Amino acid sequence: MASVVVDRLTKHYGAFRAVNDVSFSVEPGEVFALLGPNGAGKTTTVEILEGFRSRDGGRVEVLGLDPAHARTSRELRERMGIVLQELAVEPMLTVREVLSRNAAYYPNPRPIDEMLEQVGLSEQAGRRVKVLSGGQQRRLDLALGIVGNPELVFLDEPTTGFDPSARRGAWDLVRTLTGEGTTVILTTHYMDEAEALADRVAVITRGEIVASGPPRSIGGRDLGDVRIRFRLPDRVAFDDLPVHGATLTGDLVEVHTNREISALHDLTGWALERRVDLVGLSVERLTLEDVYLRLTGFEPSGPVGPTGQVGQVVASGPGTGSRHGRGR
Amino acid sequence: MSAARTRAGRPLLLDRRDLRLVGRQVGYEQLAFWRNPLGAGFTVVFSVVFLVLLGASGGKSMVSFLPGVKLIQYYVAGFAAYGVMAACFNMLAINLVLRRELGLLKRLRLSPLPRWIMFSGVFANALIVSAVQVVLLLIVGRYGYHAHLPHQWGALVVALLAGVFCFTALGVAVSTLIPNQEAAGPVLSIVFFVLLFLSGLWYPIRSGSALAKISTWFPVRHLITATFAPFHLSAGASPWAWHDVLVMAIWGVAGVYVALRRFRWEPRRG
Repeated sequence: MASVVVDRLTKHYGAFRAVNDVSFSVEPGEVFALLGPNGAGKTTTVEILEGFRSRDGGRVEVLGLDPAHARTSRELRERMGIVLQELAVEPMLTVREVLSRNAAYYPNPRPIDEMLEQVGLSEQAGRRVKVLSGGQQRRLDLALGIVGNPELVFLDEPTTGFDPSARRGAWDLVRTLTGEGTTVILTTHYMDEAEALADRVAVITRGEIVASGPPRSIGGRDLGDVRIRFRLPDRVAFDDLPVHGATLTGDLVEVHTNREISALHDLTGWALERRVDLVGLSVERLTLEDVYLRLTGFEPSGPVGPTGQVGQVVASGPGTGSRHGRGR
Repeated sequence: MSAARTRAGRPLLLDRRDLRLVGRQVGYEQLAFWRNPLGAGFTVVFSVVFLVLLGASGGKSMVSFLPGVKLIQYYVAGFAAYGVMAACFNMLAINLVLRRELGLLKRLRLSPLPRWIMFSGVFANALIVSAVQVVLLLIVGRYGYHAHLPHQWGALVVALLAGVFCFTALGVAVSTLIPNQEAAGPVLSIVFFVLLFLSGLWYPIRSGSALAKISTWFPVRHLITATFAPFHLSAGASPWAWHDVLVMAIWGVAGVYVALRRFRWEPRRG
């Protein structure tokens, strides 16, 4: 039985459709990542699953229970854990006090010392929450989310504000959880995080899921979509190039194609014949970030660094002008 | 794994685990309160320090329009009432606004802790802080300034409990009207001290005066007079101030209504 089933979920605020006909399901032990720009509807979707927000249409089942059902809400909350974006911890209590207080809310919590060890806060156990660094507070937040030994964990941007080593630690913790059979629903802005942790990814934008699948193959990544780039040669008009669907930014030509052999053949043959140079010619496979940006309405452009960071982003496609974030 | 965790039908009466959770929740509320020197100081020490200062400056004088009543006697009752208001209204409202804006309320709402247990902890904390102040004030008044203890303890308890109910409800209600934690302190202090002034905390006011007529619409003066009544024995005066208790109850019910309608678990943004 699936841990989470979402079937044609709809939520609107007045005329604004925050979530529109969204369907997906998550299997036990799976890590499912929801990616999307701010205001795309991912937080709203997650908050409906958590039972914090009501829905306007569709069916939702979390661990076999309806999160909107008040009678079973305590049971559901005892079986799931939530890590929020906000630092939400009483400043005057110590790390150990906060953890053992929250542990008592659950029928079979994890041992406190083991939790402290896992998130690397053993040395801070006796210190008050208010003197912890931002990263330490976030790790405490993470511990609070899983202290109840949950079957399902919601991680809402769990590593925002973490330094690289804390981030690796958090990833290891998530892997430990899934190794024990815990299901994880993750929202994140970091593509490398989704790639490192998620079994499946769904990209949500304007309230709709526009693509879903394993991070390796989502959006046609595995079908050989590659990016060919070079500088537009002098004395050559953009329209004279022997390639279809190319874009021009400054003097940089960019071609996305899944038939790179023939595209390169056409291009290099043409260049030899015309005796022009294709300065800066490069061929790259699309990164998850490229796919994500394309799916959410941004076309990546400009020089791509070795880490896949996009130096410059140009809006294209219909409706990109209305993409300002809408706070929940 | 999941079968073992599934709870069978919930017992109709409170189960033991829930009662233990209430106890723990109150304990942690107390811990957080006493560890915050600013909060503990402002709320608890303030009322006692004021009684000491006012007692030292004019404690032996008599209230001009109440024959045989020493001013210090009035202050003991007045600051007991003040203590209840400071804990249940001021402290509670600031606490709730702060926790809402920090996201603590949302986190609790998403945890399995039932809402009633969370509120039990918060309310019990206000009640305990109120009680500590009342006891301290009675002791300081009795042994520092020879004020006498109430003639009718039951009436004092009823008056203070009515005040706890009224001002707790109003505290929750007013927390829903304050947009952010920066505004909480100043807004509440202004409302609170203006009402206290109008209601005769600093100096007894004659019933029938213009000030008394204005303040009779608000619950603050009613708590002060109801708290004072059990200390004040004179011909024809009852220690049981049922009229004041009724007014506080009405305000309390109004507060509950606003609180239930407007209470929010998440920060107000934008």
